[in-house]
Formats: sequence, C-alpha cells, structure tokens
Amino acid sequence: MLMDPVLTRVIERCREGDRDAFEEVVNRYGLQVLRTARLIVRDEAVAEDVCQETFLKAWRRIRTLRDEEPGPWLNRIATNESISACRRRSRFQVLAERFGRFGGVKREVSTEARLDLARALDQLAPDHRAAIVLHYYQDLSVEETASALGAPVDTVKSRLKTALRRLRELTGSEEVS
Amino acid sequence: MSDDFERRLREHLHHEASQVPQLPRELRGRIRNGVQPRPRFGMRAPQLAFAAAAGVLAGALFFGVRNQQVIINALPAGIRQLIQPTPTPQPFVCTDRPGGNPSVSTQVTDIRWARHDGYDRVVVDFSSGIPSYDLTRQPTANFVQDPSGQPVTLDGSAGVKLILRNTDGSPSLARDSKPGFPALREVTQLGVFEGVLTYGLGLAAPTCERVLELSGPPRLVIDFATSGPAPSASPTPTLAPSATALGQFQCVDASGGRDAGPVQLKAIRTAHQPGYDRIVFEFSPGTGAVPPYTVTRQSSTHFVKDPSGQPVTLKGSYGLRLVMRNTTAYGAYQGSSDLTPGLPALLEAAQLGDFEGVNSWGLGLARNSCMRVLELSNPTRLVIDIQTP
Repeated sequence: MLMDPVLTRVIERCREGDRDAFEEVVNRYGLQVLRTARLIVRDEAVAEDVCQETFLKAWRRIRTLRDEEPGPWLNRIATNESISACRRRSRFQVLAERFGRFGGVKREVSTEARLDLARALDQLAPDHRAAIVLHYYQDLSVEETASALGAPVDTVKSRLKTALRRLRELTGSEEVS
Repeated sequence: MSDDFERRLREHLHHEASQVPQLPRELRGRIRNGVQPRPRFGMRAPQLAFAAAAGVLAGALFFGVRNQQVIINALPAGIRQLIQPTPTPQPFVCTDRPGGNPSVSTQVTDIRWARHDGYDRVVVDFSSGIPSYDLTRQPTANFVQDPSGQPVTLDGSAGVKLILRNTDGSPSLARDSKPGFPALREVTQLGVFEGVLTYGLGLAAPTCERVLELSGPPRLVIDFATSGPAPSASPTPTLAPSATALGQFQCVDASGGRDAGPVQLKAIRTAHQPGYDRIVFEFSPGTGAVPPYTVTRQSSTHFVKDPSGQPVTLKGSYGLRLVMRNTTAYGAYQGSSDLTPGLPALLEAAQLGDFEGVNSWGLGLARNSCMRVLELSNPTRLVIDIQTP
C-alpha cells in the first residue's frame, strides 16, 4: 500500500526507538483518536485514558506495523480500547449499585421517551455504538468497519441495523420504508 | 439507502466530535512520559562499544598489525568518529536527510552562511550536541509558518525545510536574511514552537546538498552545490511547459492558499480548453480565501483513502493528489464524489477523504502532464489546468 514518504520515514524512526518521531505520530493522529474514543465511551476523562493507552500500545507494537498506514491501525487499537473501557465501566457500575454506593449513575430510560440523539447514543451497547461511530462519523464502509472491529461483515451489518433501529425508537424517528 | 435520520445522525456525530477542539497539552504530556525507550541490548550501548573496541584492538595487536589506519578502520563507527579528527566530506546527494541525536536537547546559538568554490554553505551552531533533525527538499520556495500556518514565500524557485527537534533558538538569532548567493537566496525562521525550531531555506533552483555533523563546537553544516548539473524536480515530463497569459505550465508539485478559517467546498466543474483540461474547485462564500492546499504529482493512479487507508485506483496512468486543509465538502457540495469527465488528459476525479477538516481528491490522468494552478476570487476558486498535447 502506498504511504506518504515523509510518514514512512517517521515510522521507520519510531521502529528504531525514536521517541521524537513518535511524537509526530501523536501530533498527526492524536485528535482523531481522541474524538473517536470520546464518541464511543461518552466520557471525556475515559476518552483521554483510552487515547493515552492507544498510543502507548502503539509504541510498544510499532515494529509490527509493516507497510501499512498508521491511521487505520491506530483506529483499530482505539476502537478496541474504547469498547473495553466501556465494559470495564459497566462492570464497575454493576458492583457499585450492588453495594449501594455511587448509585444513580445509570440513567433509566423508557423506550417511549423522546430522547435527543446524544442521550440515545448513550443507551447503545458499546460494540453497537462503535459500529455507528466508525460507519457514520469516520465514513468507513461496512467492510472497513468490520476490519476495524475485527468482526465479520455480516455481524457488523446486523449491529448497524439493530443500532439504527434502537436509535430510531429512542428518538421517536420514523423509519423510511 | 441513507435517509434523513442517518443524515441527522452523521451531523450529530460530527458536531459532538467538534466539541473536542484539540488534543489537550496535558494528555500529550502523559503520552510522552509514558513512552519509554526500548532497550535493544542486554549491555548498555557505551559498554558494548567499549567492549567491541577493546576486542577489536586486542585482536589487531595480537596479529601484529602495526598500521594505525588499519586499526582505526577496524573500530566501530562510533569510536572511529571520536578519534578521527576530520570527517571525510560526503558527496552531494539529492535526497531528504534525517539525522542527529534524538536524546539531545539544545539551543541554536548562531546560524551563518558563506560562499565557497562549488557550493554555498549554511552552518547551524548548537550549545550542546546536534539534535534530531529533518532536512526536507521541496520544489518551491513556499513554506508554512509554525504554528500559525501562515504561508510565506522566500526568494528562489525551490526550497529546503530544516526541522530541529528539542531545540530552542537564541533570541539574538536573525529571523530572516537574504544572502543572495548563487544557490542560497534566503534563510528564514519559520517557527519556534513546543521545542521544534524550523527554518526555511530559499534556493535559486533545485540543488543537491551535502550534510556534515561536526563537533567542537557542535554544528550542522549544509552545503548546496553551485556547479554541475542541477537535478530536475520531477521525473522526465512528456510535455514541455509552455508560457500562456495565465502563467506557465510546470512539471512540479504545487502548494498555496491561505488559512483564513474553515472553508466549504461547494462545486466542482471540469472542461476541456484548447491546450489544457481544467478542473475547478469552487468554495462557499465566507473567508474569501482559497484554503491551504498541496497538489502532488505521482506516476500512478493508485491512491489511499482517508481515513480508512483503503487503496483505490482511478482511470489513467498518472495522478495528481489534491489535499485541502481546513476544508470540508460536507453540507455544501451536492455533486458526485467520483467524476469521470473523460477529457483528453483528465479521466477521473474522486474524493479520497473528507475527515477532520482535510478534504482530499485524486485525479486520474491519461499521461504525465504538466499543470498550472490558479487561485481565483469572486467566487473563490482553485483551478488546476492540466496540459494536453
């Protein structure tokens, strides 16, 4: 795959352990990673943690990046980290509610309520929300979304369909037949 | 099929994302602090070098080698540099040059230049060590200031950008000087920001260079050849440039524009005119400025989409890649994202990406053609003319 020659050289320097070169990678892709994480995890502080962990993992694994654009590669790491962060937070919330502390974190929402899109997105399962973000925010095709999520294409199609239906229900939007 | 709800969803996600305007400085620092150097050897580098040198030296003495130069040549390069007083001048080469030491943090104490037989020399003096640097050649003398993004054009028709990392500039350094030498026409400081000091060097023509890293005091020397054949900025063009009232067709990459704020791409038009094919990118009224752009020539029609990284191949055998910054087609451009005008030179134009304020297009060309780029106003347009036989 063709890659910008300047970027190729930056990645080569990263492989050799040049931390300044890696800072150029952070400068180039940091905002994209942070925004994607923020849309999936729905929390600013958690998104920053995800962004940090994404780049630290990328640094540790930079030698596995061969003739590949770093953007999609970072995107895969960030998406997986975001989904994992959502699941960790969900487990913490279950425990917190069980012990009667930190209650009231989770918003109970009736499906009849007319929510705005932001709150409706909050209600989706993390892997469904990740599919929505990759497909509708990053404009990735279904195949590209599947590649980023490491899931079969049919699974991603199903997730997108289910997520869209759920969002329509939550916001009271009519489906176009 | 995309419906109104999906359009609203897409707009909402872009709006939410725009609430994160930049990567926070504190987060950048956390990442920097978390990135640890990777140990490559069980033994530390100085110990390894010393052990290797001692071993080689002992071996040489054991076999009765008395010639000092033979012993020196047998030493590792790092040790050899320390004991050899003068580095051998390198040949002039016509490529970009990275170098320096990433672990060095330093200050530029002086930057000076001089004419010599066969070359113009630029010397950058440092207070302590030579930092990590990149020397990047470019076919124009147009640069962008850091961090303002403002374009600046230096004397000359080609340029070299010098990026010094972990480096500060002394306040006494001149910001801009015009030596007016045969090769070196202008030297200007493009920016000092977050430990990165950048210089733009304006050259009379694309010129090969020689880079030396010297010590006592630590300094970086860049020589620009002033004799011998000048390199061409691009592969052999099939069409000779010709002058017209609108400007010359040139067989080099182009860049320009001005960052006056976000810009929306509104329309794209194509047409054949006598002697050239024209593609026009029209922008919505607003800033009144053509956004910062680069047009890069390539000897294939293989492109990479942004941000997916997926390869895409357009019609034709040569290509142009147009990248416009602070620009989006989202919300204003209603046309096709894959145009196939089928003109003599311009066969296809496809949007490669529209993400995070960067809008990019690939143009598939029938042959390796020279081009002319114009920035027009009322309405604001970027025009690319592609020369036809």
